[in-house]
Amino acid sequence: MATRADRPPALALKGIAKNFGAVAAVRGFDLDVAEGEFVTLLGPSGCGKSTTLALIAGFFPADAGEIHLRGKHVEGLPPFERDIGVVFQDYALFPHMTVAENVGFGLRMRKVAKAEIASRVAEALDLVKLGGLGERRPLQLSGGQRQRVALARALVIRPAVLLLDEPLSNLDLKLREEMRAEIAALQRRLGITTVFVTHDQGEALAMSDRIAVMNGGAIEQIGKPADIYERPATKFVADFIGRTNFLPARVLARAGEIVDVECLGRRFAVRDARAGVGPALLAVRPERAQLSPSPDGLDFEAEVAQVLYLGAKREVHLAGPGGVELVVDAANLGDGAAPVPGARVRFAAPPEACLLLPA
Amino acid sequence: MTNSHASGPWRALRWTVAGIYVFVFAPILITASVSFNESNRSLFPPRGFSLRWWDRAFSPEWLEPLLFSLQLASLTAAICVTLGTPLAFALTRWRFRGRMAVAALTLGPLMMPALVTGVGLLQLFQIAGARGSIGFPALLAGHVVISLPFAVRCVGISLQGMPHNVELAAMSLGARPWRVQWEIVLPLIKTGVIAGAVFAFVHSFTDVNLSIFLAAPGQIPVTVKIMGFLEFGFAPTLAAVSVITLVVPLIVVGIVQWFFGLGDFIYGDAR
Repeated sequence: MATRADRPPALALKGIAKNFGAVAAVRGFDLDVAEGEFVTLLGPSGCGKSTTLALIAGFFPADAGEIHLRGKHVEGLPPFERDIGVVFQDYALFPHMTVAENVGFGLRMRKVAKAEIASRVAEALDLVKLGGLGERRPLQLSGGQRQRVALARALVIRPAVLLLDEPLSNLDLKLREEMRAEIAALQRRLGITTVFVTHDQGEALAMSDRIAVMNGGAIEQIGKPADIYERPATKFVADFIGRTNFLPARVLARAGEIVDVECLGRRFAVRDARAGVGPALLAVRPERAQLSPSPDGLDFEAEVAQVLYLGAKREVHLAGPGGVELVVDAANLGDGAAPVPGARVRFAAPPEACLLLPA
Repeated sequence: MTNSHASGPWRALRWTVAGIYVFVFAPILITASVSFNESNRSLFPPRGFSLRWWDRAFSPEWLEPLLFSLQLASLTAAICVTLGTPLAFALTRWRFRGRMAVAALTLGPLMMPALVTGVGLLQLFQIAGARGSIGFPALLAGHVVISLPFAVRCVGISLQGMPHNVELAAMSLGARPWRVQWEIVLPLIKTGVIAGAVFAFVHSFTDVNLSIFLAAPGQIPVTVKIMGFLEFGFAPTLAAVSVITLVVPLIVVGIVQWFFGLGDFIYGDAR
């Protein structure tokens, strides 16, 4: 980590902004991506993640801000002078060229010698497990194979940054899960700096070194996948990544790292570094909530509304005080002790499962 | 399942299609057979068998206008794709002031009778004091106006059918704009450009409505020559010439189809 900090970041965005007419698509944020790091821009559609990627690639100019690629200003440069590799959602392969010609295109544009192009293309195709398919045309390939060609074409030029724009969203579920493991492994092996855009939290959590959760054209929170999931900073992040039960709460007092919280008539102590005294939101993940009482944490009565049997677990939907909807994941322990709709149960969580968010 | 195709609406459809084929091909076959008449009149069914009308059809009297039409149509096609390709680019890719006006002016002649364009051009050349250009120059101008829409439409359809992002992908791989055009865009719209040229050629070659106003002595397209000859009745020579003028565009379409494949364009579903 120390070595990373010594070097300039592979990619740095400073106050980058872009408007489309009256709509602010990207509202001036900073982002540093270290050499070899895999950073995901995650957010719902329209959050500005794809626009950010297009700004890094130079497909249109930014209205404000700076983009540094390996310490060099590139915001004024056209895409063909930026040293980037892009994989598009629809792969954007050249249909009139063979697979080998597709992969070799970037090298040819860089005036690499023919013999070297041939060997590097073969190497890149082996890398994505497409060895021997060089003479095929893109239309003769399956979706997964096209995606690999697109990846090989972007990797073979050894770009300063690899940009992936929702590359998995056109694949079916099984293939998507295979490819995400493969891309992550490949990225680590090559140590190539990567910016990945997705709306799929599963992909983001599984593949990234860091995730930048975007909302309304800005970064809502940035951190390691576990940080984002375990310690979301805002209601938006907690809601967008995974599922979360939100309950109205009040912080009564703070003593160092410990705060005194009141929630639905129950008072208990929670370890928290951020929350100020006053109204707050208490967040509990379904898998950390329980149906049995908690003596020193959150605990109140609720009614079972619905139970979904999912094999490894049961998703228990509850109606809490005032009709608030809650979800508890109950692990399937094989004891057949399943709650039934209409039953009165506890909705409880130990203090360490309770997270305080700004109201 | 297959049974249902043999009855009811399917039978009616078959007869309708058969009827259409008869109406399309019967006149052509009749004309072709008439050209082999032994008689001096265009009789059907033909009396006897003779090639003398074909001999006349290949005399300079008819070869000259035929060649003239070929030259006119070839040049028209070349100019139409040269003008039409950038026009199609502008119309499909850019949003600029006056775009609708340019689109209407370019594609308008498709909707307007060529006859009106012909009269208009004739008057224009007379008012402009350019009567001298009546003949080949005026014909060429007129044919470009009425054939340009075909080139613009064909190229436009290919441009719209181009896969998204391929240009951005090429640029991100280091291709400068003109290389993107040359190596990516042009190959992908090639069929559209060729189809546009073929349609423009055929449209020009078969036009009579416009040409009839702008032809000059010695500079007469074969279609106009045929019209003029009709005043003397339908001689079997005319039947032979008609067959020739029918075959020329077919040969052009056939050659292009063989080398490039226009199936997608002729039968719609351009991709």
